[in-house]
Amino acid sequence: MKYYLMTLGCQMNMSDSERVASVLDAAGCVKVETEEEANIIGILACSVRQKAIDKVYNKISVWNKWKNKKNLITFISGCMLPTDKDRFLKLFDIVFTMPELPQLPHMLGEYGITNPLSLIAEPQSAVDEIKLFWKVKPKYDSSFEAFVPIQNGCNKFCTFCAVPYTRGREISRPSNEILQEVRELAEKGYKTITLLGQNVNSYGLDKNGQEISFAQLLEKVGQMGEEIDNEFWVYFTSPHPRDMTTDIFHTIAKYDCLGKQIHFPLQSGDEKVLIKMNRNHSVSKYRETMHALREILPQATVFTDIIVGFTDETDEQFENTRKVMEEFKYNMAYIAMYSPRPGAASYRWEDTVSLDEKKKRFAILSDELAKHTLEFNQTMIGKTVKVLVREHDRKEGYLSGHTGGKLVIRFKSDNESLIGQIIPLKITAAAKFSLEGELVFSEQLAVNNDQLTVSSN
Amino acid sequence: MNIIRKRMNLHEILEIRNLTESTFIIQFEKNGLEFTAGQHVCVGPPNGIHTREYSIYSAVNDPYIEILVKEVQNGLITPVLKKLKVGDSVVVEEPVGYFGLNGGEKLNKKYLFIATGTGISPFHSMVKSHPTLDYKIVHGVRSHIEGYEKEEYDKLRYTLCSSRDTSGNYIGRLTNYLQELQIDTDSEVYLCGNCNMIHDAYDILENKGIPNERIHAEVYF
Ligand SMILES: Cc1cc2nc3c(=O)[nH]c(=O)nc-3n(C[C@H](O)[C@H](O)[C@H](O)COP(=O)(O)OP(=O)(O)OC[C@H]3O[C@@H](n4cnc5c(N)ncnc54)[C@H](O)[C@@H]3O)c2cc1C
Ligand code: SF4
Repeated sequence: MKYYLMTLGCQMNMSDSERVASVLDAAGCVKVETEEEANIIGILACSVRQKAIDKVYNKISVWNKWKNKKNLITFISGCMLPTDKDRFLKLFDIVFTMPELPQLPHMLGEYGITNPLSLIAEPQSAVDEIKLFWKVKPKYDSSFEAFVPIQNGCNKFCTFCAVPYTRGREISRPSNEILQEVRELAEKGYKTITLLGQNVNSYGLDKNGQEISFAQLLEKVGQMGEEIDNEFWVYFTSPHPRDMTTDIFHTIAKYDCLGKQIHFPLQSGDEKVLIKMNRNHSVSKYRETMHALREILPQATVFTDIIVGFTDETDEQFENTRKVMEEFKYNMAYIAMYSPRPGAASYRWEDTVSLDEKKKRFAILSDELAKHTLEFNQTMIGKTVKVLVREHDRKEGYLSGHTGGKLVIRFKSDNESLIGQIIPLKITAAAKFSLEGELVFSEQLAVNNDQLTVSSN
Repeated sequence: MNIIRKRMNLHEILEIRNLTESTFIIQFEKNGLEFTAGQHVCVGPPNGIHTREYSIYSAVNDPYIEILVKEVQNGLITPVLKKLKVGDSVVVEEPVGYFGLNGGEKLNKKYLFIATGTGISPFHSMVKSHPTLDYKIVHGVRSHIEGYEKEEYDKLRYTLCSSRDTSGNYIGRLTNYLQELQIDTDSEVYLCGNCNMIHDAYDILENKGIPNERIHAEVYF
């Protein structure tokens, strides 16, 4: 059987889709690149954005028409609100939540697709289900970048977000499994490993002292980096300011393999908007943590998330966010214009800020961001930094990648064998959101280098 | 308990107390749910897929769970909840949220609870769960009939601010009362209910020198 997978949404869904692919491969199916070729089509849905949900409805109506002409089984999983899930049950052949993934071969078996895995035992509880899910070995899409889920679900209930309703409560994956997966990846030569979860830094809190904390998990990963010869960088996303403790920064400072890039979502720089968003932290608490971060990890780049135009956000409240951006000088900000997300508490509140106003605020923050990123990037000119080469750049004859601090950089070369390698580059030019560099050594040397002492931001 | 009912999170309604024409308390089976005072649960009708958040009104050790609900005209869920009877069931998800005393109840801290309407609910749970709590409640309502079960609080600790009749302990808006109130700057202040009130009260508290790490809020709408 040939299968096609469509993945919508965030990195969590991308990581989940790698596990779905491995289950289907193990069940004897073969992945194809187009939906037309496939007999099994699956979607990893995202209920967070209306556009993604609309796409699901459009696609399934087309696929259901194909069923008149060919044998086709459709399934859907990923982030689903109870309301959508109910409707999907009528449209798709198979609907399952991610923790139920190990049962997929069994479900396909019910459609007459016999496969060796359909004999798996049924789990007894939701916690058993997620444990079995984590045991599924993913089929990594990349040979040098991998995502490792460490935690699923969210207890925070930010009023603009539907994740707690689609993914349920926080459950931490056993640390020994995480460490084993990270070790295998690092030993295989993976260059970046991203620890994934909706709230990575509340890792372990659901286990009431029976599991190590997030800082301790990082410590163990850091120690692993010292033991393993291959160079690799470990990142994490997304953390929540409420649980961002300074021991996390101290641990990152201690180990070379812990990426010097911190994603630290702000969402708003106004106390009252944060209350309405139910973020459960104040700007002053955030500022305190930010100061600690700058002090302990002065070389780290800091990325953030910001929403503009949240329900009832006034000019003055927005201006507070701009001021905070000016103060913290982020290296990157994912700025989103607020749109009500079905399932979230704020979906029931009037979306009071007009689209034009949101666009205006978005532009102001983008300009604010660019001021600081340009200033920072210019200070990098002349430095030699380590870079993970990721792909061909859009500019002909160039390759691109990112620094240890995840700053995007390109350089002149068409030597494909550099892709997937960490090499030193000398920075020669800086723009708002990217850098340009040149090879420091001959390309052959670059591939074989591991004893170079260069800055990693 | 029946396993299917457990899997569907169905809890049988044990009692309903109608407090006003629009506001009522639903008491339902606890079925082992544990919570800390101040947390909320998502509750919905038994045969639907929609739920809404409700602060828990009852105390942590009560053998049941109660929520205080106000019917919202043309709302999706509250009119349906209003029609339910004793013996019917509601869908109840597990208790969540960080709105709570954070252990301060053991440290003899002073608490100021400020609520509008059904926003009194988590404070009822906190007061009933921790009988020795050193608290004051300021409850903003339109008319005195919205002083839901006010006899449950120590009279000296409870101030009803009624904005549309003259029957409250204070006649006028809650925010006017707060402007006049002497507040110990070492109090932990909790705000719950309508967001406009919370924002106005936040400014007043800030002006009175309450540091924002001691201001906690739960927005209903
Ligand atoms: C954390 C949290 C805890 C909550 N706890 C309680 C509680 O203990 N008791 C309670 O009654 N409600 C509580 N609410 C509000 C509740 O979740 C629902 O929003 C409310 O019951 C309306 O639901 P509905 O489906 O009938 O109306 P919907 O169809 O969802 O909404 C109709 C409109 O009414 C607004 N609205 C919501 N509540 C009120 C209100 N009280 N007065 C006027 N307008 C309102 C909504 O914002 C929306 O715009 C809480 C909300 C949150 C986020
Ligand atoms: S935005 Fe808030 S509610 Fe959504 S996943 Fe992150 S912490 Fe959880």
